[in-house]
Amino acid sequence: MNRFDKVLKQLNLTPAGLLGLIILAVLPFVPPFNQEYLIRWLIAAAFIAAGAITFDFTAGYINIVNFGYYAILGFGGYTSAILAVNLGVPPWIGILCGALTAGLLGFLTGLLTLRLRGIFAAVMAWFVGLALMGLATKMVWLTRGPLGLRTPRLFDTASNVPYYFLILGLMLVSYIICSRIVSSRIGIAFKAIGQNMDAARTSGINPTFYRIINFTLSCTLAGLLGGFYAHYYGILTPDIMHTAKTVEVLAVAYIGGRGSLWGGAAVAFPFILAMELVRSGLSNLPGLNLIIYGLLLIFVMIYYPGGFAKFFDAHIRHPKNRALNYFINGAPAKT
Amino acid sequence: MSDRFIRWCTSAAGITILLSILLAVYATLDRGPYILVNTAITGGMLALVAIGLALLLGVMNVASFVHGEYFMMGTLVAYYVFTPLQNYLNANPSQTLAMVAPIIAILAAAATGAGAGALTEIMVFAPMRRRSRENWVMNSFLLTVGLAVLLINGHLLIFGADFKGIVRYWSGAPVTIMDVFISRDRLFAFLISILVILVFWIFMRTTRIGRAIRAVSQDETGALMVGINLSGILIFTMALGCALAAVAGASLLFLYPSYPTVGLEALYMAWFIVILVGLGNIIGALIGGFMVALLKVVTVEYIGSGWDFVVPTALIILVLIFKPSGIFGSGVRGVLDK
Repeated sequence: MNRFDKVLKQLNLTPAGLLGLIILAVLPFVPPFNQEYLIRWLIAAAFIAAGAITFDFTAGYINIVNFGYYAILGFGGYTSAILAVNLGVPPWIGILCGALTAGLLGFLTGLLTLRLRGIFAAVMAWFVGLALMGLATKMVWLTRGPLGLRTPRLFDTASNVPYYFLILGLMLVSYIICSRIVSSRIGIAFKAIGQNMDAARTSGINPTFYRIINFTLSCTLAGLLGGFYAHYYGILTPDIMHTAKTVEVLAVAYIGGRGSLWGGAAVAFPFILAMELVRSGLSNLPGLNLIIYGLLLIFVMIYYPGGFAKFFDAHIRHPKNRALNYFINGAPAKT
Repeated sequence: MSDRFIRWCTSAAGITILLSILLAVYATLDRGPYILVNTAITGGMLALVAIGLALLLGVMNVASFVHGEYFMMGTLVAYYVFTPLQNYLNANPSQTLAMVAPIIAILAAAATGAGAGALTEIMVFAPMRRRSRENWVMNSFLLTVGLAVLLINGHLLIFGADFKGIVRYWSGAPVTIMDVFISRDRLFAFLISILVILVFWIFMRTTRIGRAIRAVSQDETGALMVGINLSGILIFTMALGCALAAVAGASLLFLYPSYPTVGLEALYMAWFIVILVGLGNIIGALIGGFMVALLKVVTVEYIGSGWDFVVPTALIILVLIFKPSGIFGSGVRGVLDK
């Protein structure tokens, strides 16, 4: 195993994944993708991809759908925005503060949902999200409510390219953090809890500890993304906390494949671009893109609940050709 | 007897019910009886939606996210049935038809809701059940999420995003009860909800199908063994649950005009109730409907509109911290998590 392979292994990337990242990195300079509106779409796609990774970290491993995901993301965004607007804190520090407060909120949500299981924990997280959205709408003196809070932008340019690289970086960092954790002992504990909590408890795993860890981390990363959102779009309304947003990330994460982390990210780019194309191309048919969303989610749930990642593992993962195998799976581990 | 009563009073159910009654009495004395009236009207309708949701949970093990969309469907059908009738009535007035027209609209909505529910079961849940029962609760939940997105945007695509509402169902002077003016629509909405709940209750208790539904909710395999037609019962349950939501939507058309996301609020509220009282508990859903309605009305009265989302949610979260299986805690939760 040479050094390159070692580094890749450390980062939980494969040569194919690296190639994908390189393609994404040069994409904004290649026509037709170098137009500003297409870069905006790419940013939206990368944002969803990063969201899907951190969402899957909870949903795919400990098997709890965090239905208040976007509310917590929005909470991070609002924290950062309010700090920047009212106290003049620079956005970079604000984003970190937002991530920390979102993490704290995730910690509390984790505590709150502890005594519930599966779907009921999901509904509980949803209630927390609804309450947060209600607060953001009604606390007009702080958040300006539905009028929207104007926020300073991160970079002093009209170009979208720096934002694109920032969100791509955030996506990569979330992926590396999450995948490092799930491939460690903690990840095995997560999976055990997700599959059968009683069995996990019998094997000496403390579900309380792992569930809270998971929620806290996932929400911290969500808060980071929220900060990016706030300082990229320059305006923040309570709509960001809406359940529909969570559904969007949820659909991408599950179509991509639960419990894979990379599946959602891989699906997000072609998917979001196609959706934006449908939306802008057929603007006289509003809602059509979301109808496709819904149909796809139903279809995947009935016929292929494992999603794209499962399909990939079953049919493409193990090619006969050795070079191809290296490309997809990376260097084989020493035996 | 008094011993049992005291024990009930100190149980979670007793405490919450007594507190709710106290709150209702206080608010009524403080602000006037219209609080009670509003609670009764909202509560009846919330109870209808929540009972449907509880039914699906108890019998089919489906944690439905799409239930509000049947409410939306009810408002839509009622609008498209009632408006032409109204126009016809304006052209040639008739006392009888004016009385009957809203009933026709609501019945049409119920029929559509039932049809849509049956179709959902046949086209979506049955294939999924045939393919795999693994991780059923989570997968069916996600499926209903997809269905909700589909229906909301289907409405947007076909009928547009504008508000499709009516001014009133029943014309005529408002009725006076306890010095409160109640518009006829509200009064009828309350009566309809009570009537539907009563019919539903008698149906579940006395008929063969009702008993079969209860049997399936208790033990699916056992029900199969005694010769119950399981797939038929599942279709029927889904149709029944969705029809209840559609009736609620149709009866409340004068309050909630039909637009794509009108069902979301009904869905939130139904989930509040179902989680609050414990899952699959139909009597509980009835009581919970009135309790959540009271919370909503009191919040709007004392704190302001818009907060009726935040305060009940916070209270429910508080309740659940101390009693996670719901205030009437039933054993259904464990089964669901199988």
